[in-house]
Amino acid sequence: MSKGYTGSRFWRFALPLMAGLISFWTPPLQAAEKLTGKDLVNEHCADCHKAVDGGGLGRISEARRTPEGWDMTVARMTLIHGTKLTSAERQAIVKYLADTMGLAPEEAQPWRYALDHNPEAADFLENKLVGETCARCHSYARIALQRRTQEDWLRLSHFHVGQFTTVELQNNLRSVNWWEIASKEIPKLLVKHYPLNSEAWTKWQQQPKMNPAGSWRIAGHRPGWGDYEGTLTVTEKQADEYALNLELRYAGGKTQKGSGNAIVYTGYEWRGTVMQGDEAVQQVFTLSDGGNRMQGRWFIKDTDALGGELRGAKVGGKAEILAVTPGFVKAGEKQQITISGVGLNGDVSIDGGVSVSRVVSSSPDKIVVEVQTSAASTKGLHAVQVGTTAAKNALNVYQQIDSVRVLPDPGLSRVGASGGKIPLVPIQFEAVAYSTGEDGKPGTKDDVRIGVVPAQWSLDNLNASAAAMKDLRFAGTIDAASGLFTPGAAGPNKQRKFGTNNFGELKAIATVEDGKRKVKGSAPFIVTAQRWNDPPIR
Amino acid sequence: MNHMKALNKKAVLLDKAAQEGNAGEVTAMAAAVGCTTVFDPGWEVDAFGGVGGLCQPMEADLYGCTDPCWWPAQVPDTLNTYTEWSSGADSAARDWQQLKSVFPK
Repeated sequence: MSKGYTGSRFWRFALPLMAGLISFWTPPLQAAEKLTGKDLVNEHCADCHKAVDGGGLGRISEARRTPEGWDMTVARMTLIHGTKLTSAERQAIVKYLADTMGLAPEEAQPWRYALDHNPEAADFLENKLVGETCARCHSYARIALQRRTQEDWLRLSHFHVGQFTTVELQNNLRSVNWWEIASKEIPKLLVKHYPLNSEAWTKWQQQPKMNPAGSWRIAGHRPGWGDYEGTLTVTEKQADEYALNLELRYAGGKTQKGSGNAIVYTGYEWRGTVMQGDEAVQQVFTLSDGGNRMQGRWFIKDTDALGGELRGAKVGGKAEILAVTPGFVKAGEKQQITISGVGLNGDVSIDGGVSVSRVVSSSPDKIVVEVQTSAASTKGLHAVQVGTTAAKNALNVYQQIDSVRVLPDPGLSRVGASGGKIPLVPIQFEAVAYSTGEDGKPGTKDDVRIGVVPAQWSLDNLNASAAAMKDLRFAGTIDAASGLFTPGAAGPNKQRKFGTNNFGELKAIATVEDGKRKVKGSAPFIVTAQRWNDPPIR
Repeated sequence: MNHMKALNKKAVLLDKAAQEGNAGEVTAMAAAVGCTTVFDPGWEVDAFGGVGGLCQPMEADLYGCTDPCWWPAQVPDTLNTYTEWSSGADSAARDWQQLKSVFPK
């Protein structure tokens, strides 16, 4: 957009008039479809966002964000400022802004959990004062996934007091001089930690473009369903847009086939939507290594608490072991393990007194072997090697299960559905077995993680007040075999004291069998209220 | 006040505080009992990390959060941003099923 185009008073009044006069012959829909993201930014944003020195539009060129961050900004423009956009236009604008004003991979890395909605993640508060000032209402990640000039960080503080006028009074903020902090100290801190210009972003923009088109090997883990391996075919449709076909084969025997589409933002931010079996799934991955690797989390649309993590390697790239499943074997026992990867070639070897007793099957992308351990095998983590390709810490030889930890810890469920518009939020619990470390005590820092193990699941009240309110009876149920917790119905419950909701404070208890022994673990969780404001970054 | 008798513990404390000239302080404390004003419980958890101290049923206080822009990251603020959000759903306890998520997907 050239300077003066929208800044001119003449054009501001003349354009709508001219548009009215010529609309009888202009096909607006077709014309809009042909506009690029840059054109659309100029058309829809430049009336308010004036050109600034050095090029670009005010505020827009003074900030960088993730695709989700830009989408939230554009959505706010439609909600608050009346910008009219079709979904295709919104998409094109977000693409353009994320490509030109995005975050470098390492800038986004510490806070990816806010993008992929990992239910096991805890918010990372890099700066204490910023956390106290901003993250009492929303995640710290929501801040840390942005980059701005100091002036624009200050404008964000002004926006908060203007738009959310009681912000100063909330969450004990009245005990401090919030505005003094938010307007003076915070912009300085934010620009120090999250500046508009960075070496990482400059370098990233100079990187050659990655093209993920091709055949991929994928592997990962879905809590509740277990480990999986599979294939993904990526076909380029147009620049940065791809058609996907995938198959996930779970260790327990389930298979999911699917197809869909993906868009790559900022050169590496992969966002896919696929029908995976009968589940609508969203993918939040990153591309790396010249487009030969991908990694991230996928989740079920509208139920993002359920999903799985994924690692992928392109066929034809470097040889790599993606997964060894199961990743543990009891000392003295014989067990079949599956090695998934790309370019696998050569004999399988494992150190520490673990022998490969039989090769069941072998191909460049999957090797199944039987391993034999003895009581003398070295306990702990072992490297698994195929020819010259190795995976460190891939197989754990353990003596016995000494303790069980339940994840997520703590968990958070929300009531929902029940005829209302907000989906419920379940929790998929998992039992992770551990053996004691050198201190010989279970539950300490040096415990060695064995892996996810089957468990029998049950619930209990977390504390005396939960028992008094009969939370166990009302707050939800857990599937005894899978560990999937489903909250009670939403809405006031006349059966409860005070007619209260089916909220509660509970604990999920896993009972794991290890031979004739039973080992228990538990994690606390709450069942709480719906969110009626649920943006992509919370 | 001379003709009124405190019937419960809180009223006795209030009465005592009023006689000692501390009524303002006690009023502020009383306002925090059971609902969010001074000692905010948070939208999801109370001050102790649980849910026992939240306003419950939540629907009874929902518009007490949305109207004064309380917890705008979790519930729509009807003060500035989503002024029409609860239109037609006059009683949250009765009409909560009509209430929609506000972020446009």
